[in-house]
Amino acid sequence: MTAVPSTRLHRPPRPAFAVGMMRWLRAGSNLEWALAIISIVGLILLWEYARPLGVPGLENVPPPSEVIRASAKLLSSDIYWQAWGLSLRRVAIGFLAAQILGVPLGLALAMNRTALDTIFPVVEILRPIPPVAWIPVAIIFWPTRELSVVFIVFLGAFWIVLLNTIGGAGSIDVNYRRAAQSLGSMPRDMFWRIILPATIPSIVIGMAVGMGLAWEMLVAAEMVAGNTGLGYLLWQSFEINAIPQCIVCMVSIGIAGFLSSEIIRQLGRYAAPWQRQQ
Amino acid sequence: MLRSPRPYLGFLGIGTFFLAWYVLVDATHFWRFRELPGFVSSVREWVNPNPVYGISLFTSDYYLHIWSSLYRVFGAFAVATLLGTTIGILMGWSRIFCGLTFPILELLRPIPILAWIPLAIILLPGRELPIIGLTFLAAFFVTILNTLLGVRSIDPVYFRAARSLGFSELGILAHVIVPGALPYIFVGLQIAMGACWFSLVAAEIASGQAGLGYEVWQAYYYVQFETMVIIMATLGFLGYVSSALVRLVARRLMRWRTRALAGV
Amino acid sequence: MEARTRSGSLSIRNVGKVYNPGGAKVVALEDISVEIRAGSFCVFVGPSGCGKTTLLNTVAGFDTVTAGEIYLDNVLLSAPEHAPQPGSDRIVVFQNGSLFPWKTVLWNAVCGPVQQGRMKYAEAAAHARELLARVGLKGIEAQYPGELSGGMKRRVEIVRALINEPKILLLDEPFRALDALTKSVVQEYLLELYDLVPRTVFFITHDVEEAVFLADTVIVMTTRPGRILKILNVDMERPRTHRILTSERFLAIENEIRAAIHDEARKAFEAGERELAA
Repeated sequence: MTAVPSTRLHRPPRPAFAVGMMRWLRAGSNLEWALAIISIVGLILLWEYARPLGVPGLENVPPPSEVIRASAKLLSSDIYWQAWGLSLRRVAIGFLAAQILGVPLGLALAMNRTALDTIFPVVEILRPIPPVAWIPVAIIFWPTRELSVVFIVFLGAFWIVLLNTIGGAGSIDVNYRRAAQSLGSMPRDMFWRIILPATIPSIVIGMAVGMGLAWEMLVAAEMVAGNTGLGYLLWQSFEINAIPQCIVCMVSIGIAGFLSSEIIRQLGRYAAPWQRQQ
Repeated sequence: MLRSPRPYLGFLGIGTFFLAWYVLVDATHFWRFRELPGFVSSVREWVNPNPVYGISLFTSDYYLHIWSSLYRVFGAFAVATLLGTTIGILMGWSRIFCGLTFPILELLRPIPILAWIPLAIILLPGRELPIIGLTFLAAFFVTILNTLLGVRSIDPVYFRAARSLGFSELGILAHVIVPGALPYIFVGLQIAMGACWFSLVAAEIASGQAGLGYEVWQAYYYVQFETMVIIMATLGFLGYVSSALVRLVARRLMRWRTRALAGV
Repeated sequence: MEARTRSGSLSIRNVGKVYNPGGAKVVALEDISVEIRAGSFCVFVGPSGCGKTTLLNTVAGFDTVTAGEIYLDNVLLSAPEHAPQPGSDRIVVFQNGSLFPWKTVLWNAVCGPVQQGRMKYAEAAAHARELLARVGLKGIEAQYPGELSGGMKRRVEIVRALINEPKILLLDEPFRALDALTKSVVQEYLLELYDLVPRTVFFITHDVEEAVFLADTVIVMTTRPGRILKILNVDMERPRTHRILTSERFLAIENEIRAAIHDEARKAFEAGERELAA
């Protein structure tokens, strides 16, 4: 293991995006790439030949070839793309609502101890109730199914956003605040210039995780209470026993979730550039 | 809340919440709130020895559902924890193992857990296993990831010190990697617990025969809204208690942390 | 015990270390040659980034040299083709502390011999208690490092190292984070242990006073690329107390070193500024 020089010098510019898999692959050596290819190809081959090879349990799962055929058919149908659009819209609305309500509330609670002590226990009581369990209430309460689904998506993301915002604002080094105070900043300045920017990384994490949760909730809500959208399509495919289609939906939702989280992380990088140089 | 210097504020907040519920639903029937079950009627149902809809603190069905859900969650959680931490540590320890498993993990992880329901039903026999399997899966991914992060987060200086002091590879595993990753592992376990309850309820709604998720849907379906509220509250309570249990175990196992934090 | 103190002679011949030879070449060390007698207390001083830690890493086994050789007791330790392994014959006390925070003080102190299988726990514990008592630490065996002060932690770490009876004890700016008063106390403890069993010590610091106080030999290094500027013998008697800090002889030696270092420090500073501007 080579030691690292003790001062910054001529480091190659960091790749501008990608966490997780992408960054790992980029940073990784040829060994990592090779292993990745081996394992993924291996998995696909195992999946493809599970049936003829008699691998127990996988007999009923359609092999990749069938899935690809099904996806070709699905991708050319209107229903699929409509479902995409509808699901995307619901996630976007629910997610945005969670941000718009969650971030200011979180910041307000972090700033005001009294409010925090009063309201946080209510949060702690309501939060453990799985959003899925809220579905019946949502259906009863909201006038339309659409709103119910969006509400569940909202709930999923809301708690995480709230928690992360409060956590982020609360953990700001007290010295930053003191420095600002000694430099003569007013409370308003303090908020906009010190507290908000310092909380942004936590908010971004809350958003990225919240986005993932939003998609989870969307699938749940659409499966149970929706009549359109990718989640509903998934369940419907299952009910009519069109399993390859099912799998295509699974993968689509996975891709959608991944892309949206990545976009959030990217935006986060722009919002907090000082975090980039590590 | 009880740790705050002013716990009465917390009670005030909770009280306000229930008051608002009562006012909006029972008293004023404001807008859509009139559709919801009332606060008073729900509580009354809950403590009724002879409940209208068959579920209350005094009925055995209530506890039957609780037990069904509980053993599923804890079973799945236990297996997920064991497997997840083991695999996560192996991934942190061996570059080759990580190289082989990480890509697959990252490919499968973005797929929402509930999207696996159809596959789970196909792959796993019976009615119980798909539900437990789904619950397991949710916790599994989270645990592996957090364990891996935990191993990676260990300051490399500890590895150097251990090597310098002549530790064997197994010694490093047992005395550096596992204890060093523990804080992150427990954060992951708390999240995993929440994920377990979430998946469980959804899975039970989709294909269960007993359990809180199943019952909440049944209650909705048969327009037994008070029961629905009771179940929701029960779920919330159980979820909170299970997370608290994880936190408790964490505090015992990581005494060094609590003592250091207390001393600082 | 006597035979042990005769071993630990270090011969560093024309050692060089270049990072990233294919890309942005960084010459950390250039043509370092120094003979360290067995049992002598050797201190390396120099401005930040001059390669002292790099040199320590090559001796300790965390890094390989790209040129030259290092011999330990006339046995080849490190060469470009011969990568050394870290081992308990060359134990390092790290700058920012490396006591395992999740183990008790006692476990930390005895872990070397116990993990190597050389001693049983009970036996090692007895040794450790004795050593801990010598450095003024009694009754803290059951505590965790997080509950200790900086000075206490450093002493435990020294005990942890010495209990292994290493041929060379390497210390990388170990007292940097201590306040001045604690520092002088811990220095005296270190010297007491050294006087008890003189073993080869490889000590790094940027504090000139500390260097002269502790050392038999002071080696002054230049800023990057690190070369040896000067080698001085501190021929003051042992045991040393803090009273010698103001003696004429001491101050004369100190001045000589300070003069040499100051220029190097300025050069390092300007080099750093140039890097930032680049």
